[in-house]
Amino acid sequence: MPALIEARDLTKNYGSQLALNRVNFTVESGRIVGLIGPNGAGKTSALRAILGLTAYRGHLNVLGREPFANRAALMQEASFIADVAVLPSWLKVEQAIDFVAGVHPRFRRDRALALLAKTQITGKRRIRELSKGMKTLVHLALTMAIDARLLVLDEPTLGLDILARRSFYDALVNDYMDETRTILITTHQVEEVENLLTDVLFIDNGRIVVDCSIDDLAARYAAVAVADDKLIEARALRPFYERPMLGKTVLYFEQPDIARLAAFGEVQRPSVSDLFVAKLS
Amino acid sequence: MHTYMWLIRREFWENRAIWIVPAVIGVALTIAALFGRIDFGAAISAEQQRMIGPTVLLAYGFTFFAVMSIYSSWYLMECLYADRKDRSVLFWKSLPISDTATVLAKLFTGVIVIPLVYFLAADVSTLLMAFIVSMRAHAYFGSVLWQPEPWLQLHVLWLYVILTTAVWFLPITGWLMLVSAWARRAVVLWLVLPPLALYWVERWFFGSHFVGSQLAERTLGYVSRAFYDRSNPSAWATTSIGTDTLTTPSSVWRVLNPIGFVSSPATWVGLLVGAAMIYGAIQLRLRRSET
Repeated sequence: MPALIEARDLTKNYGSQLALNRVNFTVESGRIVGLIGPNGAGKTSALRAILGLTAYRGHLNVLGREPFANRAALMQEASFIADVAVLPSWLKVEQAIDFVAGVHPRFRRDRALALLAKTQITGKRRIRELSKGMKTLVHLALTMAIDARLLVLDEPTLGLDILARRSFYDALVNDYMDETRTILITTHQVEEVENLLTDVLFIDNGRIVVDCSIDDLAARYAAVAVADDKLIEARALRPFYERPMLGKTVLYFEQPDIARLAAFGEVQRPSVSDLFVAKLS
Repeated sequence: MHTYMWLIRREFWENRAIWIVPAVIGVALTIAALFGRIDFGAAISAEQQRMIGPTVLLAYGFTFFAVMSIYSSWYLMECLYADRKDRSVLFWKSLPISDTATVLAKLFTGVIVIPLVYFLAADVSTLLMAFIVSMRAHAYFGSVLWQPEPWLQLHVLWLYVILTTAVWFLPITGWLMLVSAWARRAVVLWLVLPPLALYWVERWFFGSHFVGSQLAERTLGYVSRAFYDRSNPSAWATTSIGTDTLTTPSSVWRVLNPIGFVSSPATWVGLLVGAAMIYGAIQLRLRRSET
């Protein structure tokens, strides 16, 4: 089965500024991929290119199509919420549902209504009358009611309180996700998504710095807390990052030799957020 | 087709002024008919009476048409800018609707749907006015308004004007949409300054007036292209009321000049230039996702 998203030498520049610099990655079907990077790293440019919102150089194939020339066709099978995408303020909730139901063959009105029924939002309300969190909930209900093969979420829970965020991710994993779907998600809050991701893509300065499935993480990266007296010896194994913690120093290794590292202490799989900090600072 | 229907419906949701403004004009004119003064004296001849009816109907239609032209221009100027400004453009782009369909639906709304809504409002309020005036004037004046021929002529005139203005003013429509899709701010300045700059640059450096004369021709030349002017004696008739003389169309059938309009090269050049600008607006819409 071919990859759902395949990018080769994907490049995007704004004037002289290179937002994506010959980026290569693939996303397989049925995965939940976190595209993680600091502000200005190229996350949004990558998403825009994948969604057909911007022209780019290089090769890109999404759901079997070149996205920029085929955005309308692509949106039959892909859906997205972009961080800056806000619903128009003049739109009524029921109009939004009618419109999407009218133009989108894969929209399931009953599912949208069921999702909205869990909130206080009624159909007669205009978007401008809703709080920021409620607007996001309406947008999520509209998007999750689409039977899409690819769902792209760019900072989906921005502006939601902790309860709404938690229930959103629960709904995403329990009600929405199945083996036919693929989710690509970006967020600053790595901790919030790290338990649901199956793959991570770290992006920095327009380049992919880590491309790894969560399952492979333990084989590819290791962290060991080393006491001060063994530090010089441990550093000889060339950690790529270190940070002090509780009187010891945690050293991070790539392609670790687990047997040798075990001599310095307990070898642990770094968490996604630790790895993010280690890789990008 | 189905998608276009939803896109046009969406324009009505967003721009409620499309029907509110003509409704307000209709209500105002109806109130005027209810409470205004109806007194033309008795000193008008049968022939003058015959002409008052069509003139009143025309004046009604013109009121609606003048407001419609202003509103429609404003609509076209805003239509590809507003959703970039409020950042909802990415929501619309998350749906399986091509940018071509979006732009064409807005074009169709601006040049056909909005004029038709005003046409409908003009029709309803003219009917109301004629009815009210007939009742108030005890059918004396009413008989002037209830003639089938002027009504039919007015409807043909409306449809003819909607179609021919849509074609003739397409370069202006296209320019409005192009700027609407282009401008990141100050839409009005982008609208006005480039043509003005072109005009002055040409004048200073070449001493010629091509741009200026083209602009003048496009804005002012419509009537002389689509209608026979007063030099055509069979189309226009002169009546005298007291010491005044009044020149009016002898009949709508005689002033319309569809053959002259269609056979004029300027019509076709304008159509091509307008189409090119709308193509440009679609290309900008494809690429521009933020203000």
